[in-house]
Amino acid sequence: MNNMHNLGTVMRFEITRMLKKPSFWLMALGFPVLMVGIFGIVFWSNNATMEAAEKLKNEKITMAVTDVSGVIKPEILQAMDAKEVATRDEGIEKVQSGAVDAYIYFPADLATERVEVYGQDAGLFENSKYSAIATTMLDQSVNAQVSEQQRAVLRGQVNVATTTFRDGQEYDGIREMIAPGLFLVLFYFLIAFFGNQMLNSTIEEKENRTIEMLLTTVQSRVLIIGKILSLIILALIQTLVILIPVLTIYFVLSPQLQLPNIDLANIPLDPLKIGLGAAIFIFSFLLFTGILVALGAAMPTAKEASSWFGYVVILLFGPLYGVTTFISYPDSPFVRFLSLFPLTSPIPLMLRNAYGNLPLGEALLGIAILAVSAVVVMLLSVRIFRYGAMQYDSKISLAALRAKRAK
Amino acid sequence: MTGEKPIVSVEHFKMAFGDKEVISDLSFEVFRGEVFGFLGSNGSGKTTTLRALLGLYEPTGGKLLINGKPYTVDGGISLGYLPEERGLYKKEKVLDVMLYFGELKGMTRPAAREFSLKYLERVKLSDKAHTRIDKLSGGQQQKVQLGVTIMNEPELLILDEPTKGFDPVNRRLLMNIVEERKKAGATIVFVTHQMEEVERLCSRVILLKDGAARAYGTLADIKKQFSGASMDDIFVKIYGGEEQEAEDE
Repeated sequence: MNNMHNLGTVMRFEITRMLKKPSFWLMALGFPVLMVGIFGIVFWSNNATMEAAEKLKNEKITMAVTDVSGVIKPEILQAMDAKEVATRDEGIEKVQSGAVDAYIYFPADLATERVEVYGQDAGLFENSKYSAIATTMLDQSVNAQVSEQQRAVLRGQVNVATTTFRDGQEYDGIREMIAPGLFLVLFYFLIAFFGNQMLNSTIEEKENRTIEMLLTTVQSRVLIIGKILSLIILALIQTLVILIPVLTIYFVLSPQLQLPNIDLANIPLDPLKIGLGAAIFIFSFLLFTGILVALGAAMPTAKEASSWFGYVVILLFGPLYGVTTFISYPDSPFVRFLSLFPLTSPIPLMLRNAYGNLPLGEALLGIAILAVSAVVVMLLSVRIFRYGAMQYDSKISLAALRAKRAK
Repeated sequence: MTGEKPIVSVEHFKMAFGDKEVISDLSFEVFRGEVFGFLGSNGSGKTTTLRALLGLYEPTGGKLLINGKPYTVDGGISLGYLPEERGLYKKEKVLDVMLYFGELKGMTRPAAREFSLKYLERVKLSDKAHTRIDKLSGGQQQKVQLGVTIMNEPELLILDEPTKGFDPVNRRLLMNIVEERKKAGATIVFVTHQMEEVERLCSRVILLKDGAARAYGTLADIKKQFSGASMDDIFVKIYGGEEQEAEDE
């Protein structure tokens, strides 16, 4: 009862004080704000381009053209009120004298030579309208000579639908990866955003010398579990704070921003893969939380702990560089080793599970290894915290830890 | 005190850090309701003994018991411990930290709040209740830490150099609080270098030197043993040699 009371007290204190920190909200809201900024720029840019095209349509530009290629249709020139001139020099002279706004020279071989455009200076951002007219002339002239279907091919507007089969069943690799792959994305974000916080959660009491009062007031096990549970809750809060604005932006503004349309109703939801992904995610998160908490407890200062944190991150995210290997050679000893060695296994296991080349037996073995490792590391982190906490100036050695265990 | 059951019992305590022996063989007892002085020069092993007594260090040998058993948080005794290495959550507000420790010590939140506000008023820090700890002066932080130490009205109060860094006014305030706890029946073990505090408050003392008890008993017994007029004289008599040795070196 007392331990439960203290666990609740530790969690409330840890969660409340973190939620009061501006840095928590800056970190949580920084990503959505950045996304809003980027999409805002894209949105503004799209609108500006459309406005410019509209303006160009209504603008009256006097033009002269020399078409040596013979591609440009006379009716197009007529529609655009462009006058033909015999030579390139004559056209340039007309621009220089101010007789026309622009002159376009279409060379004999459009494939190898350049179309030359000359115009009155209209400002840095407006000068591109002349080349846009040249491109429009070519586009419309060619389109006028081909059928609707050929036009679609030339414009790259032909839609291709690929259907693949695995074991005789229809299988869409990318869609299949979405649901179980979310665990990989979530894991990456949580460690990236929360790693330092986990590391510092046990150093703080040592650095500010609160530890002696705490350890004579609350059980070290209760304190550590309280801190870990608080971190998990804070991580969930932060995930929601990141996801809600991102999803809102996606669903509300995707038509305006021309974002790829994902039909959520058609995303395959394989319960086995999702279950395995969730189990890998949970035990991986617990394992790395335990490792970071233990590191924090073993080191005298945050500075020393952060250099060790670097090694953990390399082990954890290093396998990301082998993505193609995990997909193409799932049976190789290297891939199997990385998938089962607990410090490197989260990324390979989650990736292979999402892609669908992780056999059930290997998945269960990997999860079991992760689960056992997580429990061992958690117990170890409590022990390290218990004995390392009193070492204000030096890190606790493995020999010292073994000696204390032997008693 | 023969026959009375001690609240603190240390029997043949030994402590070594690697090859370095800090406590060779230490035994003493503290009885319920007394103020016990734990004296010694710097590095004599006082803090190490207190930490081992509270389970923060594992002893190399011997037994350290509180109420007849090794100390655990759930051991059924209300403890107040003011360590030598002091500090609180620097970025948190005074009242939040006091409430946190109050609740950890088993108080309800309203009771912890009531105690904290009364205590802060008493030590003239009521206007700092919502100030961050790191915005307080060193002396003010010490007062808050003392408040945290006594907020569950502990039956055993262990104070490791409680007046270190205090000005005379605050030292007097602290001593008054210790005396109040004594009157309330609490047992107090405190480490100090201030011999006037020892004379004023302690019924019995132990003087540590080189990891062993150099003197142990009531003030009257010790004064008789060392033919000293005051504890100050006795302290100089026992530890003065160390100063001489240091000067010789």
